[in-house]
Amino acid sequence: MTVVTTGRWSAGATASSPIARTLLAWAAYCCIGAVAAATLDVPTPYVPSTRGNVDEMLRLAAVQPGDVVYDLGSGDGRVVIAAARDWGARAVGLDIDGELVAQSREAARKEGVADRTEFHVRDALTADLREASVVTMYLLTPLVNRLQPKLLKELKPGSRIVAHEYGFADWKADRHVQVSKNFFLYIVPAHVGGKWRLSTALPDGARDYDLEFQQRYQEVKGGARVSGGYLPAFESRLAGERLTFVLNENDVSYRYEGRVAGSLIEGRVRWGFGPKQNEASWRAVRVGLPSGEE
Amino acid sequence: MEEESPRGLVNLRKESPLVSRRRFMAGTAAVVGAVATPIIGQQFFEVPFVPTPHIVVDEMLRLANVGAGDVVYDLGSGDGRIVIGAASKFGARAVGVELSDHLIYQSEESAQQAKVTDRVKFLQQDFFKTDFSDASVITLYLLPGVMRRLRDRMLQLRPGTRLVAHDFDFDEWRPDVKTTIRKNVFLWVVPARVQGRWQMRVDLPGDAFGFELEARQKYQEVDGVVKMEGPPGGLWETKLEGDRIRFVVVDARDRDNEGTLYFQGTVSGKTMQGDGARGVGSRATRFKWQATRLG
Repeated sequence: MTVVTTGRWSAGATASSPIARTLLAWAAYCCIGAVAAATLDVPTPYVPSTRGNVDEMLRLAAVQPGDVVYDLGSGDGRVVIAAARDWGARAVGLDIDGELVAQSREAARKEGVADRTEFHVRDALTADLREASVVTMYLLTPLVNRLQPKLLKELKPGSRIVAHEYGFADWKADRHVQVSKNFFLYIVPAHVGGKWRLSTALPDGARDYDLEFQQRYQEVKGGARVSGGYLPAFESRLAGERLTFVLNENDVSYRYEGRVAGSLIEGRVRWGFGPKQNEASWRAVRVGLPSGEE
Repeated sequence: MEEESPRGLVNLRKESPLVSRRRFMAGTAAVVGAVATPIIGQQFFEVPFVPTPHIVVDEMLRLANVGAGDVVYDLGSGDGRIVIGAASKFGARAVGVELSDHLIYQSEESAQQAKVTDRVKFLQQDFFKTDFSDASVITLYLLPGVMRRLRDRMLQLRPGTRLVAHDFDFDEWRPDVKTTIRKNVFLWVVPARVQGRWQMRVDLPGDAFGFELEARQKYQEVDGVVKMEGPPGGLWETKLEGDRIRFVVVDARDRDNEGTLYFQGTVSGKTMQGDGARGVGSRATRFKWQATRLG
């Protein structure tokens, strides 16, 4: 693999939308420094993120003091430094350019966040990303897409990925925000595809359902097989490890909410309205993998 | 008012579950067909209709977040189930508007059984002639043509009024929220008017400044242009929900100190005001802002 870090961004060369293109020329000259020099057989340009871009990425990721933020292609370290300084997180920058990494360490010292930041001369494609709870990146599409399987494999469910301007080709963003540029938020989904045995004790009797979900990233659909019929799961949503769906039974919507932990889902089921709300606990145990994976 | 209710315009309504069940039991394709494409002419057609399933009624009222302070109008209230549900399950006051005296009678019976007569009212009239300006929530289950006819009138309602419908929507006025619980259920929030030019005033501590904002609006969707110093900027991430507005502007007055301005506030006729923040995280600086309409 040829690893190339090129010089300055040439305005307009890779802007994907007319808005981005219009604003790019303006954005490009008003910023200093750079982010995103990384690894690839396709040269990844040395592209500056503005102060506002950095803010928006970290805001979209809703960074908390307990987070570990990894910036892939950390350039002069501005995202890493901002994550530590403005959001109280611990942050790690990876870049293949040793000079930029040294510069980043120096900048972190000056900003008083050397103790909460690390910078490594390392290739994002081969680095160990498992401790990250937030990953930020401003990389070109080919590299973004090559990182996708690695991120899905290494990051824990619920981890957030924010891509600046270039998102994954195949994986639909959980949120797409436009502030001067495009920002995409992806929440690493838990694995819920497959067969589960759901049990809950509702006031009118215990339930034991054969639950089955099909999953494509965070999109899930499925339903419950019950004696004498099938209850489709409405409004199925998966955000990280939090799964919600609605089963209709006897003209009542039962709203299930649960946390997926490996081969166990546990949570609450609610029904009723206003003052007449009821709830019970439920759990589901994995009994099979999705068809095709067995 | 007469023009709003041309001959042949449909006022769809919901039949009692009993009647519809009987019709389903008749089981012929013709009956099913008639049920599937229901049309009740103002005075002309007597085509039956499938009532909204209770579970969908619940979902409509849940989606509209109906509570004790609400006044719910159901246009074409059929057997009264939405009106009674709004009062009995959600504690609201509710009004049903229905043409058929038989269904009105039935609704009143059901309201008595549900012990909500003090909180519900049924009007036997053509809802195109009903004054529902005191509604905070309107529920609809009407054919697309009728929905389109009602759309402009709905947009004149007080900003923040919630409209919920199922199956059929307002066409190009996209719902704010859509859920699917057996059927597609839609929620719209009547948007305030923000289209036009505004003079903005931002009171950042030690740095009060103004700029012009030009907003374009299509229903609740808003975009626009900001004229600060330098090249015009965009109005980003706008969200208009009733009279509540949010948007983002890049403060590029000083290129070495670029910052993002996050606004939120309330629209009230010719003025808007609220608060916001410049920057994010621990570096965010709070500010107050206000805007007055230009021209």
